[in-house]
Amino acid sequence: MEELQIKRKWTWPPKLPKWSHRERVNFKTGMLFLLPWTIGFLVFTLYPMVASFLYSFTIYHPRQPNEWIGLQNYANLLADDKFWNSLSNTFYMVAIGVPLTLLTSFFCAVLLNLKVRGQSIYRVIYFLPSIVPTVASTILWLWILNPQTGILNTLLGYIGIQGPNWMSNPDWSKPGLILLGMWGMGGTIVIYLSGLQDVPVSLLEAAELDGASWWQRLWYVTIPMVSPITLFNLITGVIAMFQYFAQAYVFRGTHDLGYPLNSTLFYSIYLYQNGFLWLKMGYASAMAWVLFIVILICTLLLLKVSERFTYYAG
Amino acid sequence: MHRKFNILISVFILASMLLAACGGGQQAASTEPEVLRVWIQWGDNPQQIQELFDKYMATSGIKVEVTAPLEEDKILPSLTGSEPPDVLVLSGGDLVKSYAKEGLVTELSDIIKSGGIDLSDFFEAPLDQCKSGDQILCLPWGTDMYALFWNKDMFEAAGLDPETPPATMEELAEFADKMTKIGPDGKVEQVGFLPDQGWDHSDLYVRMFGGFWYSDDGTQLTANSQAMIDSLTWQQQFYTKYNADDVLALSSGWADAYMSADYPFYTGKMAMYVDGEWMTGPNFISAFKPEASYGVAPFPPPADHQERANTAVVQGPVAVIPAGAKNKDASAKLLAWMMSPEIVAEEFCFNANLPTSKKAATDPCFTENPKFKVFVDLMASPNATYIITTPISLEFNDAYGLVFEQVVHTGADPKPLLDELQADFEPKLQEALK
Repeated sequence: MEELQIKRKWTWPPKLPKWSHRERVNFKTGMLFLLPWTIGFLVFTLYPMVASFLYSFTIYHPRQPNEWIGLQNYANLLADDKFWNSLSNTFYMVAIGVPLTLLTSFFCAVLLNLKVRGQSIYRVIYFLPSIVPTVASTILWLWILNPQTGILNTLLGYIGIQGPNWMSNPDWSKPGLILLGMWGMGGTIVIYLSGLQDVPVSLLEAAELDGASWWQRLWYVTIPMVSPITLFNLITGVIAMFQYFAQAYVFRGTHDLGYPLNSTLFYSIYLYQNGFLWLKMGYASAMAWVLFIVILICTLLLLKVSERFTYYAG
Repeated sequence: MHRKFNILISVFILASMLLAACGGGQQAASTEPEVLRVWIQWGDNPQQIQELFDKYMATSGIKVEVTAPLEEDKILPSLTGSEPPDVLVLSGGDLVKSYAKEGLVTELSDIIKSGGIDLSDFFEAPLDQCKSGDQILCLPWGTDMYALFWNKDMFEAAGLDPETPPATMEELAEFADKMTKIGPDGKVEQVGFLPDQGWDHSDLYVRMFGGFWYSDDGTQLTANSQAMIDSLTWQQQFYTKYNADDVLALSSGWADAYMSADYPFYTGKMAMYVDGEWMTGPNFISAFKPEASYGVAPFPPPADHQERANTAVVQGPVAVIPAGAKNKDASAKLLAWMMSPEIVAEEFCFNANLPTSKKAATDPCFTENPKFKVFVDLMASPNATYIITTPISLEFNDAYGLVFEQVVHTGADPKPLLDELQADFEPKLQEALK
């Protein structure tokens, strides 16, 4: 099959080169196959994005025309205590939850890479929690974290530690949620596992021959070699954690959103509250775009900082 | 040729997918509907409700499809969408004013006249939930009231007379203290009274202290009034007298056990609490712990305000007609049928809720159960009142919830927090009422 080669000079209006009949047919078939995705993207992603951008400059009315108020929503956001509270709660999860999860999943992946009997069974066991649906696993953890009757505090009690009030104490609700997240880190472990397979055995052998201990091999060979994976997991983890919603929504049970004492009021939860409970869609749209910018800045920063620490093989 | 055939097939598949996606919502608009849709937010027994509405078909020839229960998140999209139900029954009236402000519900005065609905047949307190000035935004359909429940076995074990509930709020606190037990490990293992078990009953307590967070006409915010401070201070003691953390630890998970035999009221972990009339019906205590020995009485007033005895707060389902309902006449007729005393009596006899129709309340099924009768009497009492709402109710309630937590669960001083709340929301209320 001939390859489509489009050689163009940049002109305006763009002049596409003359295509043969076959090239044109190929192109049209390709576009046709792309059509379902394109329509979905236009209708469910691009249109809402543009609409929410416009809404963020208005007061939204469901059955009447929206009132244009310019940047007032954004100004109100900056003056809103709950906005800053929700942002700091979310930053807590991003700054503590994501690195912690990465660290433990890397550690687990290294363990699961060891040649022991039953390796595949262990791998399955560690991966299984990540396929439990989010809501179901949160409800499960509500039982695990119950301060009086839950497994976690009971086990802590056996070793003499009085477990905290995971659900009603504002200092412990976010750590409880982080534990829940770490239980479901199977996906990250698997990605790390695949990265570990790619660590060149020759490098490890050379290090061993040079007298490096297992820790030195880990630190100087393995970790740098999987650093692209770390970067990927870090960025996807950060982006996902900024949008943390479902677990917090279920975790508060029958109490108000953000229970206890607004410690679980994450950014998306507050956005949901404003937009879908209080009908302040304009305000919520402004929140959404602020989040977009925050995540963009964080991602760019991460990429910049990580350039020094990422080693790309080959 | 081969390629053309493939392209044709792809186009055909795509077209059919698109048609399927778009074609679902088309319905021929007709002047006489064949099917009406009623959405009910609560749903204790959906099958029975559907059977009730099947009777409408006999009188009108129109089939009614009932959807019950409803998740909270379905309500707003249904009201703002293009296919709202023909009648929507909300679990409470707290949002109706917010909805009305956005033009989402129909004002019912004309429908009441044309449908021949007799407003004087409604009990005042539940109907007041629906009034906004001259406008009537909804009609109550069955309602709930709250009273004090006490566990007679636990009373006896503590040396109190099981047949005599506390007569004043001060006495209630004393009784509660006698029945709160600290275990050998220093942790609370039994509470005498939890003011917010189930949910926040501040609306009842603040009335007992002689005020509310709005003025009577709903135009002023009185969040930092003395009654509010007193109500929060009174509730605080049940947590802070003991280790509040312990009490919270004990009671976490209780809400999940509500519909089971493990509910702390049944298992001897909680001696007194405030709950609604449905508990005395067939679906709750009788179902989960029929042998429970318990009593129900009106919540007691403070010792120095006996005139506030039999104050109770009504909070119950209200029926609205969405502004976007396709056939308002048909909705109006259905609403009138729902409000008729016979239907109200039948539905709420079965469900053990309070009838909102005075005629329906004379039905013996409401008076033969002495525990249920406590609530019927409360509703007819001159001190029966309702929860005043405004367009900012939701946001305010959320902010109040935070203050409540800080005061009652962690022992903070209510006055500065309530002052802040007042300063934050009074301008918002005035803005919303314009």
